[in-house]
Amino acid sequence: MAETISIALKVNGSELAAAVEPRRSLVDFLRHDLGLVGTHVGCEHGVCGACTVMLDGRTVRSCLLFAAQADGADVTTIEGIGTDEALHPLQQAFQKHHALQCGFCTPGMILAALELLRDNPDPTEEEIRVGLGGNLCMCTGYVNIVRAVRAAVSNGNSR
Amino acid sequence: MSANQKWVGQALERVEDPRLLTRGGHFIDDLTLPGAAHAAYLRSPHARARIRHIDFSRALQHPGVYAVITGEDVAQSTRPQRGRVPLANSPRVYAVAYEQVRYVGEPVVGIAAIDRATAEDAAELVHVEYEPLPAVVDPEQALEPDAPLVFEEIGSNILWHNTFPYGEVEAAFAHADLVVDERVTIHRYCSTPLETFGVMVQYEPAPHSFTIWGHTQQPAQDLHVVAAAFGVSPGQIRLIVPPMGGSFGNKVRPLFIIAAALLARKAGRPVKWIEDRRENLLALGHAADGIMEMSAAVKADGTVLAIKFRNIENEGAGIDFAGRHNLLMLSNIANCYRLQAISYEGYSVVTNRCPVVANRGIGKPFMCFAVERMMDAVARALNQDRAEIRFRNFIQPHEFPYDTPSGQTYDSGDYPEMLRKALALADYDSLRREQAQGRKEGRLLGIGIATAVEPGGSNLAYGMLISGPSQLLSGQGEAARVRLETDGTATVFTGGLDSGQGHATALAQIVADEIGLNVRQVRVATTFDSASHPYVMTSGVYSNKFHGHDTVAAIGAARKVREKLLRRAAAQLEANADDLELGDGRISVRGAPDKGVTIAQVASRAYWSLADEQPDGEPGLEALHYYSNPLAKRPDDKKRVRVQLGFASAAHVAVVEVDPETFEIKVLRYLVIHDCGRQINPGIVEGQVHGAVAHGIAAALFEEFVYDEDGQLLTTSFMDYLKPTAADLPAIEVDRLETPSPLTLLGTKGVGEGGAVVAPAAVASAVEDALAPLGIRIAALPIVPSRLWEVAAAGLKRYENARK
Repeated sequence: MAETISIALKVNGSELAAAVEPRRSLVDFLRHDLGLVGTHVGCEHGVCGACTVMLDGRTVRSCLLFAAQADGADVTTIEGIGTDEALHPLQQAFQKHHALQCGFCTPGMILAALELLRDNPDPTEEEIRVGLGGNLCMCTGYVNIVRAVRAAVSNGNSR
Repeated sequence: MSANQKWVGQALERVEDPRLLTRGGHFIDDLTLPGAAHAAYLRSPHARARIRHIDFSRALQHPGVYAVITGEDVAQSTRPQRGRVPLANSPRVYAVAYEQVRYVGEPVVGIAAIDRATAEDAAELVHVEYEPLPAVVDPEQALEPDAPLVFEEIGSNILWHNTFPYGEVEAAFAHADLVVDERVTIHRYCSTPLETFGVMVQYEPAPHSFTIWGHTQQPAQDLHVVAAAFGVSPGQIRLIVPPMGGSFGNKVRPLFIIAAALLARKAGRPVKWIEDRRENLLALGHAADGIMEMSAAVKADGTVLAIKFRNIENEGAGIDFAGRHNLLMLSNIANCYRLQAISYEGYSVVTNRCPVVANRGIGKPFMCFAVERMMDAVARALNQDRAEIRFRNFIQPHEFPYDTPSGQTYDSGDYPEMLRKALALADYDSLRREQAQGRKEGRLLGIGIATAVEPGGSNLAYGMLISGPSQLLSGQGEAARVRLETDGTATVFTGGLDSGQGHATALAQIVADEIGLNVRQVRVATTFDSASHPYVMTSGVYSNKFHGHDTVAAIGAARKVREKLLRRAAAQLEANADDLELGDGRISVRGAPDKGVTIAQVASRAYWSLADEQPDGEPGLEALHYYSNPLAKRPDDKKRVRVQLGFASAAHVAVVEVDPETFEIKVLRYLVIHDCGRQINPGIVEGQVHGAVAHGIAAALFEEFVYDEDGQLLTTSFMDYLKPTAADLPAIEVDRLETPSPLTLLGTKGVGEGGAVVAPAAVASAVEDALAPLGIRIAALPIVPSRLWEVAAAGLKRYENARK
């Protein structure tokens, strides 16, 4: 079988090591090798944002990165944000404002919104719309997503 | 009415959300089986070609490859598809191209391998020798006598054609002061759920059975399609449909399930196939493109007496939806208007494009666009305001229930109030002043209006207008089972599916009210499993049917359980069942609240204490209810049929600005007043309106599958097929009117499709209004700045699709 590359990285706070095929994408590595299926694959060409994860504090398209490129990195996926029992305040705002329907874009949207609010803690509606402009949602028309992000801002607990 | 409406009507947070917000894990690609192989398909690069030879020997020898299938295997092992509504003269269609390819992207060879990448590697080792043939892409050209035939065996490219004269059409035209003609077209687009199509199949040779995890919107029908293809009993197929990441009418391709099942049988191990986005855009299916010619008989005061329609629906190279966009348009052909007579002529034409599927509203967005364009044209011809022409022609509130010429029964509504409210919300008069002032400054501001019915719940007997009265499939209904668990909670199983509409939350609200439980004590088994979930052949999630079918089936089952519960409690309490009260998980004797038992106590005994005397003659506390909508009758001898069964409505106002130099179109405001009767969960309803409107705006301004004249699809990624982002769409403003339906148990009407039906018409109206100083009429979708610029630069007065 194909040669492999050894990588070591941190995922949701846990250190781990793995041997990956050179062509293994980061999203396939997260989903199929680590079982972190909360990160979704929507287009595999970097447009839809469903596969958005944090890599060293910046959002990336995990479909456009190889797992090997994450060697030494600190990766955060949706599984590292909140749990069913203890939702992150932004996740609470999404639920309260019906900001999701099928939920397939939601993990990527949450990560993109967290980055937006970290970099701009009090965005205008326009800034939210532009800031989330790299993530497609096919269900909501974005109205309630924008509403939820604004609500998280006004509650002052967006972090 | 329900016994106790405590939960229905509340904008509760959804029970689905915590999981979706934190980890998901239930979508098809999240599931796997030990030893599962992964499939990939080699697809046709030609729109039409004869397959001369396929050499897959190198692929089969490639390490990690388990099985290869071609059209030969499929034709030997499965029966051809006949279509959900069987055609008298049906072409032979298989899961993988057999002898010929008929559209770019059609599967030609299927490969199962140890992983997807290996299967794709192997696909590159297959050599297919094609003999390219001339293709036909344009539906009007397909009708010409010397056109290439997509399916040679049926002798023409017409799959279906029929005429529907309703009322005294010619008399209406004889009385008309004015006749207004219009020709409008709609393009190919698709709602493209973010999760693509997926399927996983496990085959057991000994009992010759298949377990299928896969996507569908009509699980019972697709289970039967697969059973028929393999010539096995429906009981030999177990179909499991996990929650879907959107579907919008698109995930209705049982051929893809059949191909995966054949691969699994041949590979001797489970096979999983997850469509990639390119495959999704190429081959999952598109909304039909169409060409509509209309003629309206109009009185001088603006009263529209009658409209004649002639529609050509382009099916692409598929048969499964033949005639169905056409016939579903009979549901909204009168729209909100009091037309005396209507004639409709419909063609279903095949071409070498991707087969069509149902897409949010199936056919109705085009019919709404056509009728609303006509109303705007009539307003212009008479120099009347666009709102005024609609007020003049509305069906009036006192006329409900109202029977339209095509046989629809509109249940309730108040169209004049709906439009008044929309105009007030938009502040129409000041918008008109702003527009007039803007025009003086060279700004192109436009205000568009569309008013529409939003049909819900299809009566599948309409298929008899295609296949004749012997068709088995008819009506509309749903099945539900409610089980009280030993802890006093309830579990609901239906034939419905989850693709994001929050049905689990809505059903929990309904059932909690019926049985006197807290909404958190009701769970809905959202992963459909044919081994556990009841179904009828109309089951599923489509056609806005939930409001009056899934709900009624669940209420029926809940009421039966409630009766059993009360009989059991009466026996336990030694009281009369009529004297009992039910609420908050407890049953007590009226007037003696201390004398009571909990539901859990009664339910426990129903399952544990089989030595007890059984008040129902049997243990257990579970009930099944099958519901069939009594409105859903067969077509009559005048071809009238209630194609759809409930009629929500909406008024949309779009405000746009067109850049006079670049012709870039910006939607400044978008307002909706909608009326879907009583709302089970207003939070969910509002989200459905937002999402559907976004689909409609996107269809009008962004999305288009573009084919060249050879039938090559030029838009096969989200770089080329444009989906709107948050930055591209306005903050959609929504308010409601509520005229409860007298025809459903809860007064509900459908809501999911409506916005997508109406928005293209409103946007077109707004852009045309903005361009009024240039006199350009909008007769085609989508409205693309570059093409608009070309039309204006050439001094043309109509924006229409260039004929190929």
